[in-house]
Amino acid sequence: MEAPPGGPSPWRKHGVTFGFLLPAVVFLTAWVIYPAIKTFYRSLYSDRGDEFVWFDNYTALFSDERVVTAMKNNAIWVAVVPAGVTALGLVFAVLTERVRWAVAFKFAVFMPLAISLFAVGVIWRIMYEKDPDSGVVNALIASGRDAVKEPGVLPTAKPSSEAVTGTPKGGIRLEETVEPGGTAFIGLTAIPPRDMPESAKQAVEPEAREGGITGVVWRDFKPGGGTPGEVETEELGIPRVTVELRSSAGGKIAEAKTEDDGTFVFEGVEGGQYEVVVGSATFANPFGGVSWLGEKLITPALLIAYLWASAGFAMVVIGAGLAAISRDVLEAARTDGATEWQVFRRVTIPLLAPVLTVVFVTQIIGVLKVFDIVLSLAPEASRDNATVIALEMWEKSFAGQNRFGFGSAISMFLFALFIPFLILNIRRFRAENG
Amino acid sequence: MSEVKFEQVSKIYPDGTRAVNVLDLEVEDGEFMVLVGPSGCGKSTALRMVAGLEEISEGVLRIGDRVVNHVASKDRDIAMVFQSYALYPHLSVYENIAFGLRVQKVPKDEVDKRVTEAAKILGLEEFLKRKPRALSGGQRQRVAMGRAIVRKPSAFLMDEPLSNLDAKLRVQMRSEIGRLQRDLDTTTIYVTHDQVEAMTMGDRVAVMRKGELQQVATPQDLYDQPVNLFVGGFIGSPAMNMLEATLERHNGGFAAVLGDQRLSLGEHVVSEHPGLQRYDGKKVILGIRPEDLEDSEVAQGRAEDECLRGEVKLREALGSEIMVHFAVNARPALTDDVRELAKDVGEEITDDGESNAVLVGRFEPRSKVREGDTVPVAVDTRSLHFFDPETGAGIYDQANLAKGTRST
Repeated sequence: MEAPPGGPSPWRKHGVTFGFLLPAVVFLTAWVIYPAIKTFYRSLYSDRGDEFVWFDNYTALFSDERVVTAMKNNAIWVAVVPAGVTALGLVFAVLTERVRWAVAFKFAVFMPLAISLFAVGVIWRIMYEKDPDSGVVNALIASGRDAVKEPGVLPTAKPSSEAVTGTPKGGIRLEETVEPGGTAFIGLTAIPPRDMPESAKQAVEPEAREGGITGVVWRDFKPGGGTPGEVETEELGIPRVTVELRSSAGGKIAEAKTEDDGTFVFEGVEGGQYEVVVGSATFANPFGGVSWLGEKLITPALLIAYLWASAGFAMVVIGAGLAAISRDVLEAARTDGATEWQVFRRVTIPLLAPVLTVVFVTQIIGVLKVFDIVLSLAPEASRDNATVIALEMWEKSFAGQNRFGFGSAISMFLFALFIPFLILNIRRFRAENG
Repeated sequence: MSEVKFEQVSKIYPDGTRAVNVLDLEVEDGEFMVLVGPSGCGKSTALRMVAGLEEISEGVLRIGDRVVNHVASKDRDIAMVFQSYALYPHLSVYENIAFGLRVQKVPKDEVDKRVTEAAKILGLEEFLKRKPRALSGGQRQRVAMGRAIVRKPSAFLMDEPLSNLDAKLRVQMRSEIGRLQRDLDTTTIYVTHDQVEAMTMGDRVAVMRKGELQQVATPQDLYDQPVNLFVGGFIGSPAMNMLEATLERHNGGFAAVLGDQRLSLGEHVVSEHPGLQRYDGKKVILGIRPEDLEDSEVAQGRAEDECLRGEVKLREALGSEIMVHFAVNARPALTDDVRELAKDVGEEITDDGESNAVLVGRFEPRSKVREGDTVPVAVDTRSLHFFDPETGAGIYDQANLAKGTRST
């Protein structure tokens, strides 16, 4: 472009241009361009840097088991996270437009964004602990499970005398069958005091009843001795035990629960011989926790933590996009006869498309370079399964292996993955400005 | 096709503001009803309540036989045209028009038939593939209309559909919408703040002010018999001149005393406004339409007591007529209505005790008056308007004083 006559001299004009460009040029050259070129150069040399090996490091990428796992994992991340974050952000953004306490809700969703991903990893590692007593995720699952299915009261119980036989798995039963009018004494032992339900009371001997079978389930153990098979003072009945009445053929006929004093009753039993059994549910082990940090679940666990940390960003950006949609257009759709879902699907979503694309592409780029959350969340033992490309690059180069040639090749590979999305982004910027 | 009926409908906002206050209005089947009033008078809110975009706080709203208070917008069988047009920016003109049919799962060939038909009526055929942003304002307006008519709704609701167009286009679209509505014979509620639109388009016009209905009448009745000062001042352009006057007995009739001048009101005035009898010796507000003022040179044969003398301040020649602004020695009417009307056109009136009212007269182009002249101006006393200075109500006969008049 020619300088207009009378304008500043060309030299001065270019001087100003260079003056403004200089800081960016210096910093970008020192911290981006030079390291990138140097890394590429380094990737063509052996790990010790003394031998030019052409592209051997690159071909080696695909035969290194951990690097291949990392690539697979990165593929999973790219497949799940951008879509997940965008969808979650959309749901939250739409919800916050309609709920009360929207500000508090937004704050809660947005807050994880203020936490570094490394710290997010640390937080979730604790939350994912296997033992429901220390890991909140498993604690939640445990309480949910207990609400649906009552846990067994006596995971460790054993028969106390020879009159009672069986195993916890198949159920513990009286050795001899009982007929109507008879009584059943089911003594159990090896129950730690802390496992005893609090409501348990002194066990009571059952009274025989005509046409019925009565019985008692109790903790047949008295400190300092006692007679097995007999209900004695200071021995507690076991409440809430499920007792089954089975015909001699083995079929279940009736079920009863024990009272606080351990007694139970079956009324109106027809003549014949019956087995009295304490069902296996009573001896079920409590929920031991899901092994989130184990080899199988570590990647899903990482994805969940990452979604939690990123949904807030998507919510805010999409929320801003929603606010920018003209209310008139939505109202026009309603008066045009569209249901709320049709308004959302046919008007809101298409109008949000540019914003959704921004979120999606930003997330792809973020996910390709994911590193810190994997390092802090995945325990050493499952890191083989959790690893991602950026983490591999660091492990191979800096975590003691000093394989700088190989590490550089991983870097260049990762860089190549970014290129399509960078081009996409640049095109979009141009389209927006043009 | 169906009528729309407001029964004691109110809109009350959480802060207690009554945007619409106990509105009773019946729009007949096939009628073109215009809601008009200054901004903030509740006309748009009333319309949006019909559309189902605004909840109804009190009262009953019927479309046809149905009470629609709690019917969702989509089920009301209405079509709305917005001031901003509210076209779907991501859809082509064709899809914009087809949207309402698509969401109702109308078969494809039927959609095609109706869209093509609507496009033909509105002259949009060549633009069907374009996106709204590639259209001019007038074309967008047509698309908005197309979107409404293609659905064959039982009522059209139009919220200032022409106010984003330039003046020339507005005149053109005004007649087009009018023609379209007559052809389709669909009940229409049209909201505008432009009284010219109201007068030219409406079968009937409902004037609203501060959420309250002032008067519903045909345009001519509204013009000839405004129920109060507000309606008188709002309808008509240039606006009605309003002066304070005192009534006196005079030659068997009345005379209006304006400052040091006296305007004779013949017997016909009293016979047309029997209510004036009660204002003997009292103040009234005299309303004179600009076209009832004429250069006395042109309107020959007027007695002197049918003229007001005034000094010409401004002469606007429009070719077919001349707008003459002249000051007479009389107090301008200063009521809340007048102040509000002035505010609506962006003026602030202060009562500085000045007794020089400036009147606007619509003179024949033959008039030779010049700025600075003091001339007698003939007043056509047959069509004067009288209002009570306290209530603002129009003075007709005893019954008229109350009829249709609402507390202001």
